Amino acid sequence: MIDSTTEMTGAGGNGPSAPAVELTGITKRFGGIVACDQVDLALHRGRIHGILGENGAGKSTLMKVLIGLVLPDAGAIRIDGQPRTIHDPLDAASLGIAMVHQHFSLVDQLTVWENVALGEGGRLSSSEVRHRVTAISEQYGLEIEPEARVGDLTAGLRQRVEIIKCLRRDPHILVFDEPTSVLTPEESEQLFSTLREVVATEGRAVVLVSHKLDEVLHATDEITIMRQGRVVARMPTEQADARSLARAMVGREVSLRSERAAFGLAELDDAGLESEPVSPTEQETASPALDSAGSALRIEGAAVRGRGGAVLLDDFSLELRAGEVVGVAGVEGNGQRTLGDVLSSLISLNAGRVVVNGVEVPAGSPGAMAKAGVAVIPEDRHDSGVVLDMTVAENLLMVNPNRVARHGVMDKRRMVETTQQLIEEFDIGCSGPDAPLWSLSGGNQQRVVLARELVAEPHVLVAAQPTRGLDVGAIEYMTDRLRQTAADGVAVLLISSELEEILDLSDRIVVMSRGRIVGELSRSDANLETLGLLMGGSEV
Amino acid sequence: MTKGARLAEWVAMYVASIVAALVLASVIIEATGGDWWPVMEALVDGSIMAPGRWGETLGVAVPLLLVALGTVISAKAGLINIGQEGQLLIGAAFAVYFSFLIGGPGPLNLVIIMLFGALGGAVWASVAGLLRFWRGVPEVLSTLLLVTVSAQAIGYGLKQDWLLLAPGGDRGNRNQVSSQLADDNRIPRPDIFGNEFPITVYLALAMALMVAYVLARTVWGFRLRMLGHNARAAQRAGVSSTAYGASALAIGGAFAGLAGAAMFAGGGFSFGNFQLVPGFSDNIGWTGLLVALVARERALPAVVAAFVFAGLRTGAGFVNSTGVESRITDVVQGLLVLALLVPPAVIFLRDRRRARAAATERV
Repeated sequence: MIDSTTEMTGAGGNGPSAPAVELTGITKRFGGIVACDQVDLALHRGRIHGILGENGAGKSTLMKVLIGLVLPDAGAIRIDGQPRTIHDPLDAASLGIAMVHQHFSLVDQLTVWENVALGEGGRLSSSEVRHRVTAISEQYGLEIEPEARVGDLTAGLRQRVEIIKCLRRDPHILVFDEPTSVLTPEESEQLFSTLREVVATEGRAVVLVSHKLDEVLHATDEITIMRQGRVVARMPTEQADARSLARAMVGREVSLRSERAAFGLAELDDAGLESEPVSPTEQETASPALDSAGSALRIEGAAVRGRGGAVLLDDFSLELRAGEVVGVAGVEGNGQRTLGDVLSSLISLNAGRVVVNGVEVPAGSPGAMAKAGVAVIPEDRHDSGVVLDMTVAENLLMVNPNRVARHGVMDKRRMVETTQQLIEEFDIGCSGPDAPLWSLSGGNQQRVVLARELVAEPHVLVAAQPTRGLDVGAIEYMTDRLRQTAADGVAVLLISSELEEILDLSDRIVVMSRGRIVGELSRSDANLETLGLLMGGSEV
Repeated sequence: MTKGARLAEWVAMYVASIVAALVLASVIIEATGGDWWPVMEALVDGSIMAPGRWGETLGVAVPLLLVALGTVISAKAGLINIGQEGQLLIGAAFAVYFSFLIGGPGPLNLVIIMLFGALGGAVWASVAGLLRFWRGVPEVLSTLLLVTVSAQAIGYGLKQDWLLLAPGGDRGNRNQVSSQLADDNRIPRPDIFGNEFPITVYLALAMALMVAYVLARTVWGFRLRMLGHNARAAQRAGVSSTAYGASALAIGGAFAGLAGAAMFAGGGFSFGNFQLVPGFSDNIGWTGLLVALVARERALPAVVAAFVFAGLRTGAGFVNSTGVESRITDVVQGLLVLALLVPPAVIFLRDRRRARAAATERV
């Protein structure tokens, strides 16, 4: 706990240059929850301000106040020293405030320039907009093809479109909400150098909302840390270090190893990462149910074509043994999502086959993978992992409701008993089995998924971006669980764009590019550099 | 929000919007030269107060409730079936055809009527189901367009001796009327406290309880709701959208068809007088769809909503006799329906916004 807060220079608003934005005493309640409690914040021109905090710390609400999406219950906003009220995003825009949201607000069917022009008034001049897009992309090094369809772009490129959309309105104040959660390390790096330029040469004020320590340390000038709706610390970045930030953010010590992966700390020393892989002999004794080949999951020559013939998976072959963790690294959009979908019975194969524990499983047939023992923590849990409008209990029983049913009728008492047990075992924070899933925080929703998938005693666990968007404590928990699962003899397929996470957990690493495996490395041969080269399409 | 506060809010919203609709209706009646008070009085008299009227209203509520229950089931699977009017008509036609084809003593014939009514509705809805799950045709379009097709098909059938047309050389104009159901084949309409209504009221109530139970408590209902809320999560969990979706559509159609059969065999003077005629469905399918919407696609609230909508219909009959122009009666009725639709819509939108805000807040 950091009790003394270090005041920043000029934050009082009386200095020679008034802050670009000054929020004082911002308070916002949602029902009984205080999302923001007397929050003060000052943003200055020419500086990048990091706002650090766990999920639910109030960062997003604070930014929504600034952008006009949420009206505060109390508090004042001054823009360039003038008191203002921001009723809606249009007010914010007219005051020169723009935000790049965590979840993109782009229309997939439209081209890049059309998306940039969306929401503009007046006559639409396509050549003018295209020209502007090109000009902005050259000025800031945000390379993009104005005629490309947004639906075809990778997450990193889509974010560029969002940024260009914002810059086109020439804002004084730019807010980035968790911008790197969908980016690869290189794309993040690129983003930060763009931010640096925007700030240094044009004197804009930038806010970077994040829960990643390293990027806040790396990319900002000053840091505000929030916890449970309050500001718990603020300091110039040069006075901050990872450990004290983590402590202030979480309010307790976090274990160093998970923390490293959790925060995506760039500097990894291999020596510190030694996990203790289960030796092959132990694996086999741990899981006597293996088929003669000893593999829990075997994918042979899998091919999937998307609409319009796009190659999503191309002659993809991979074998997993029980008890091993195989990491799938790669720049996002190179078939990882398709791989996850195949193993979730969501799409069928154009060629190839999937064998689980010696038995071929028909891909794309509803529930076949789950039934064969393939558990999945999906990349986007809202997409195929949970049903937000159903209760916690129902979500826990989705895959196998017959566990609590007799003659096709679900026994309410057994349902509550079974799920109560899981809620306790997996420490799911909720008001009870009947709480609607949407009332849970992201981390707890993810625990629901984990609990459901693990209780089915799977042979294979596919974990796709399992820690994305989670806060530190939740990441630590998830990482430990994955390790434990592998130690219990389950083959774990870890699909992640966080290289540190892959290096931290995997026994073996494969790299995907354009729907194929372009390289395979044992954990001891892998480091950030070799992986980065493979991901970029180079030979090693 | 506590349960009590929520209930109070609901009641307040309904009262407010109904009062608003009545005030607006009165203004319109006065503006067009009528008297508002007798009209309102007639509405209440015609639906419940006058002798025998609540029984009449119950009789109208039966097919409305059955249609609404079917709508609830297909909606829970995430399918938008808006072709109940046609499914009801085809159901009624199946009931008529097979009841005269097979015949039999009273109770047996009633079973035949009900079963084949349901079958007819299911078959008609399954046409849309087939198009949806085999060819990807949106069910919202196909069900709607099949209403028109059904009306034409019935019109044709009612001109053919071998299909639906009543035999009878003794009538001069024997066009487009089916045979009348014999007295002993009709659904009994016992008299209770001076009100007579068909015993299908009990059937409809039992069905409502059953639908509520099946959806809430059975594995099938659970998986159906899963499909409706998140088709991809359901697919991964082993729910086949084709099998569950197609059966939900078929069952939805079966309920509409059952409603048609109930109207044919038990509707009395409210519906076609125990014979099939063009326009037999008389908007019951459309209104039943509204009942399901007002009940926010839940089975038990649909019971109340069905009775209210039935009351509007029977009440409107009395309003006509006050001398107000019949168009104005339609306007009054329309305003009241709108008033019933506003609170669920407002609450739905607000809940969804809150849920989203909560969801984004906690991501």
